[in-house]
Amino acid sequence: MPDLLALVVQQSINGIYLGCLYVMVALGLTLIYGVLNQINFAHADFVTVGAFTAFFTATRFATKVLGLPDTGGYLLSLVAALGAGALLGLAVNAAVFAPLRRRGTDELRPLIATIGVSVLIENGQLALFGPIPYQFDSPLARETLRVGRIFVSAQSLLVMAVSVAAIAALYAFMRFTFIGKALRAVAQDRETAGLMGINPNLVIALTIVIASALAGMAGALLGPVVVLTPFTGATLIVKAFAIVIIGGFGNMEGTIMAGLLVGVIEAFTVQYLGSGLIDLVVFAMLLTMLVVRPTGLIAERKEENV
Amino acid sequence: MKNALKPVVVALACTAAAAGAPFAAQAQDKVIRVGVLMPISGPGSYFGVMGKEGIELALERVAKTDLNGHRLQVQFEDSACSPLQATNTVKRILEQFRPHIVIGEECSDASLAIAPILEQAKVVQLNAGSVTMKLTESGYKYVFRIFPNAEQQSLPLAKVAYEKLGARTAVILHEKTNAGNDNADGFEKPFVKLGGKVLAKIDFGRDVNDFTAIATRIASLGKVDVLPTFALEGQQVRLSQALAQARVVKGGGGNAVQMGSIWLPWGYDQKAGPASIGYVRIVQFDPTEKRNIVQDFIKAFKAKYGADKTPTHINAHAYDTILLVAEAVRRGAKDSESIREQFSKLKNFEVTTGRITFDRKGQNSDLSVVHFVETQKDFSWKGMSWR
Repeated sequence: MPDLLALVVQQSINGIYLGCLYVMVALGLTLIYGVLNQINFAHADFVTVGAFTAFFTATRFATKVLGLPDTGGYLLSLVAALGAGALLGLAVNAAVFAPLRRRGTDELRPLIATIGVSVLIENGQLALFGPIPYQFDSPLARETLRVGRIFVSAQSLLVMAVSVAAIAALYAFMRFTFIGKALRAVAQDRETAGLMGINPNLVIALTIVIASALAGMAGALLGPVVVLTPFTGATLIVKAFAIVIIGGFGNMEGTIMAGLLVGVIEAFTVQYLGSGLIDLVVFAMLLTMLVVRPTGLIAERKEENV
Repeated sequence: MKNALKPVVVALACTAAAAGAPFAAQAQDKVIRVGVLMPISGPGSYFGVMGKEGIELALERVAKTDLNGHRLQVQFEDSACSPLQATNTVKRILEQFRPHIVIGEECSDASLAIAPILEQAKVVQLNAGSVTMKLTESGYKYVFRIFPNAEQQSLPLAKVAYEKLGARTAVILHEKTNAGNDNADGFEKPFVKLGGKVLAKIDFGRDVNDFTAIATRIASLGKVDVLPTFALEGQQVRLSQALAQARVVKGGGGNAVQMGSIWLPWGYDQKAGPASIGYVRIVQFDPTEKRNIVQDFIKAFKAKYGADKTPTHINAHAYDTILLVAEAVRRGAKDSESIREQFSKLKNFEVTTGRITFDRKGQNSDLSVVHFVETQKDFSWKGMSWR
């Protein structure tokens, strides 16, 4: 394979892989916004919780208590992180978001509440786990598949496979199940959906649980890739917001496209412009999108989102 | 109304009494007040946590010795590796705690932010974690640093790369901070002067997590002999692993040698795994060193914090700062000005990280603190006799 072609293929793979990671983080954000019209600043911290859950499941529980092999332990940790994210979402909704909704406060208070939840989770994890970076090694990250000059780690393949599976499952759930349709109905018009016999509070709780579960699983996928500290999520949230805005706030398909696009653009920015310019390029793209096409990559009617 | 106000008046009186209490106590004792500014929260908080461990251990040891009738009173403050928070914090402690000396900060940007404030207040700043040249090159009279600056770290790296490793091409990797930039420049200039060629200087923010694209780019640059890297431990682990995956470095079957400096604590090699094999770096605190002061420190550290914990250079540097303050007091220092005078006179003072002699700019000029190690296949260090 010629040098240039190999390089383009390699950076495209790197970019798609990175994009899949971003999509996994950003999907929950867009889902919550689509249904609740609410920005969740704590979302990235749910990712961190998922990463720590996966770390302790894989390195302590699965291998040492259950005696599973490393790969089995890591795969189990994905499920554990999914569950931890779901439980955390359930708890935060019951303790913070639901009471605020019941009081019918303005839009600002729930927004500030999500900042409070974020700070609480970060500092809670700091107290529990300490500030020193954890080394979360997935056995899959050590396996590298090579075809000619192209390489990809088994961990990257897993990230891409799980992302595709999660997106497909979520899409099918939203389009073809009764609960998914109820969720979309609440996104379109909460009051009318209530009149149709749908319990909006239940649907909202379910949305938060699904989004948080996705965040938890994203954490398990990210853990072996990133520098794992209680603040890992904070390094991702700004990029995730950019992706959600570029894709169109609340638009799932747009978020997926934007995530992949940002990942690929980042990889080629590193190659041809310099890694120090990544944020400049991504946020210039974000501003351009806000000015030229404020509805995002896929312009749909609000009710078509989610 | 009077009854309603009564609890408020009592509370205010109690608060005033409590606020005055430390100063009353200070007036009775011969106290040297030491303010410590460390990042206790935020992404750089592991510096602060390790620093606090070192300082607390040193305080216990120093308390058992005679300090000319003085005692050290330490106040820890969280400055979060942030110039803004460090500035606010230092202003507050200058007003409320009135320190004779301030230890900190760890991050160069925050250290630079507090230096002019302490200079104006004529309070000594003792730094043990910042790299940037600007800290001791700005003409501050009250700044002292025991940490090797960027030039002291990068110059030996460039010489060793060119003369000992036979490197002629380099790609410099560094974080986008004052410290990272200064280290990168500090390597580039002497390396190019010696005849080497820098193929690329690649910088990145602290929020970058995935280094696969960077490793791919380096693999496309042709033959690279050395990769001087200046970043925090977490990012370096991921960077080394990506470079190994792209078969750039020796640890991944490539030819390039990754080089680094005091940014990396003990334990990096185990965390990075096989990717770290062949990594050449400067260390200032080597737990395998046989000097008594080093082994005594390790023994005390394990006794206090757990037998499974090995102190890092961050622990050691923080420990050394208290030893230095105590030595200055032992030699007659009793306030900020006399601490400054004693530091200026200090020569060849032994600490866990080597020996300290401050030059006229307040920089430790004793390069006995810099020595090279190479990571072996079992992730242990092999000491190299390169100077």
